[in-house]
Amino acid sequence: MNAAVQPETVIVGAEISAGHDGAAELTLMLRYENGVTAPVIVDARVGFSLMRNCGATCLADLKGQSWRHFLEGLD
Amino acid sequence: MFDILIKNGLVVDGSGAKGFAADVAIKDGLIVQIGQIDGAAKQTIDAKGKVVAPGFIDPHTHFDAQLLWDGAARPSLEHGVTSIVPGNCSLSLAPLRAADRPAVIGMFQQIEEMPPEAFTIAFEWTWEDFAGYRAAIEPKLQINVAPLVGHTAIRQWVMGEAANQRAAEPAEITAMQAMLRECLKAGAIGLSTSYIDTDANGRPVPSRFAQFSELDALAAVLGEFDRMLQVVPEFYDADLTIARIDQLAELSIKHNIPTTFSPVFDSPLTPHNVARQIARVEEQAARGARVHPQMQTRPVDISFSLLRPSLFFARLPFWYRTLRQPLEARLASLQDAATVERLIADAGPEGGKDMFGRLQVRGGDAAPAELTGRTLASIAEERGEGPAQALISLSLEHGLDVAFIAASAGHADTGRIGPFLKHPLMHIGASDGGAHMSSFATYGDTGYLFSEFVRKSGTFTLEEAVRKITAETADIWGLKDRGRLAPGLAADVVVFDAETIARGDERPVFDMPGEGMRYVRDGIGVDAVLVNGQVAYAGGQYTDATAGAVLA
Repeated sequence: MNAAVQPETVIVGAEISAGHDGAAELTLMLRYENGVTAPVIVDARVGFSLMRNCGATCLADLKGQSWRHFLEGLD
Repeated sequence: MFDILIKNGLVVDGSGAKGFAADVAIKDGLIVQIGQIDGAAKQTIDAKGKVVAPGFIDPHTHFDAQLLWDGAARPSLEHGVTSIVPGNCSLSLAPLRAADRPAVIGMFQQIEEMPPEAFTIAFEWTWEDFAGYRAAIEPKLQINVAPLVGHTAIRQWVMGEAANQRAAEPAEITAMQAMLRECLKAGAIGLSTSYIDTDANGRPVPSRFAQFSELDALAAVLGEFDRMLQVVPEFYDADLTIARIDQLAELSIKHNIPTTFSPVFDSPLTPHNVARQIARVEEQAARGARVHPQMQTRPVDISFSLLRPSLFFARLPFWYRTLRQPLEARLASLQDAATVERLIADAGPEGGKDMFGRLQVRGGDAAPAELTGRTLASIAEERGEGPAQALISLSLEHGLDVAFIAASAGHADTGRIGPFLKHPLMHIGASDGGAHMSSFATYGDTGYLFSEFVRKSGTFTLEEAVRKITAETADIWGLKDRGRLAPGLAADVVVFDAETIARGDERPVFDMPGEGMRYVRDGIGVDAVLVNGQVAYAGGQYTDATAGAVLA
């Protein structure tokens, strides 16, 4: 078994970034099931939902959280 | 006799060739001679020590509404821009049935942040079709306009309420093709579409409900006219954007059309994204596809006030929790001494100097005007407070209606961005002129190109920079008589000082209908701007010349 394989995609990093509309956004680093790490940027609306769904009070709390929480934010 | 003779300038003709000392003679809206000219002229402009260049072209704007009361698209003209492309991102004000106006206005307000009065008191709705919109703007134009027609507008016209509910039926696609054809014949320069924009209710705009077959059918019509397809891809994700590049390439090759997408941003957090996109564009260009990424020159800022929650505070747990509360509870917390003490502690050393010290007061809101542009560090020092305390106090004193800006928070590394801008396939654009007007100024990117990437970093020579935003842009968009200084071509000319051309500081003005506020930047170092052979701007003043035209 490949040591990099993990059961689900997780957030391994989060930072504030500047959105094209002047709002603060989140740039998240995801580690996918196959071990690949790649960034994704979410806008303020989705970012707030993600923070809420993860029970996060700051960016540091997002680390290690399942990316499934992102889907919970899509309404 | 010439109409205008521009004497003694350094002619940088847009081709990229080295500038040369020459005079430029203009008659009947055209350049008629370049060289040493001694003939008489009705008006002479002394350009000694200045650059004489083709007027700049801004390929990504949202001036659709503003053009109905401001034919100069202020302040674009004073930055040397003589031609603009409105109608981007799937949104145009035509075709538009009267019954659909509220829905489309909502989309424009969402994108442009234009006050509602702009659509109710500033002009009469005299049109529904594209030709009617053209007729409404054309008599007042002081700047040239090459308008795109929006996919959303065409979809709304054909499908009505179903436009943002479902895929189109074959007959509806045929009707959209017919409408697009009509718009192109009436002067549209191409079609715009978007995969990301939302309406006033946060719902996807109609263009996002289109299947690829619909876009393919519309691109076929663009192919009949060799016209542009402009796309806003899912630019927050490099993989999705690359997939869109591949789609655009397919459409470009199949229908022999130019395509462009925007925006393209660089960020240290996603350092490989732009290079990956360029690499894919290069691959597709090698196949013969015309896909042009658009990148803006200016950095991006983060702005916020304590009136509304912002992710800006997501690094600081106690700030984030406090400011996420409903307004009343938020106000109470910010007035509670113990809470404030804890907020200040949470902000880091020296009263939050690192986190908040460099923030600037934006202005245009309830903050005292004299604070506009000043840093929180300097304001805090004056008040005898730390930056975090000053942020709270200042906000409370003005009902929280005080906007702050973290300037150049992204797309700000000149050393990285310069080479991207210079890439032969990169299209300088994406200014968004006329949009986001209550959030930040979308003007002056041309001045910033010269001040930052010619004078400061030396990434471009003067001639290369001029070529990028004149001849190269004209060629991409098929504007055959624009973008160059040569006899027989349109006399769109800018006279500027290569040593000083720049963008002014961002400042709030209240010149929108109903005294609505927007942020602008003044032009610096631009002496004169000629549109179709008439002086439209000179000596810091706009003239009454209405020589602008629709570039069909």
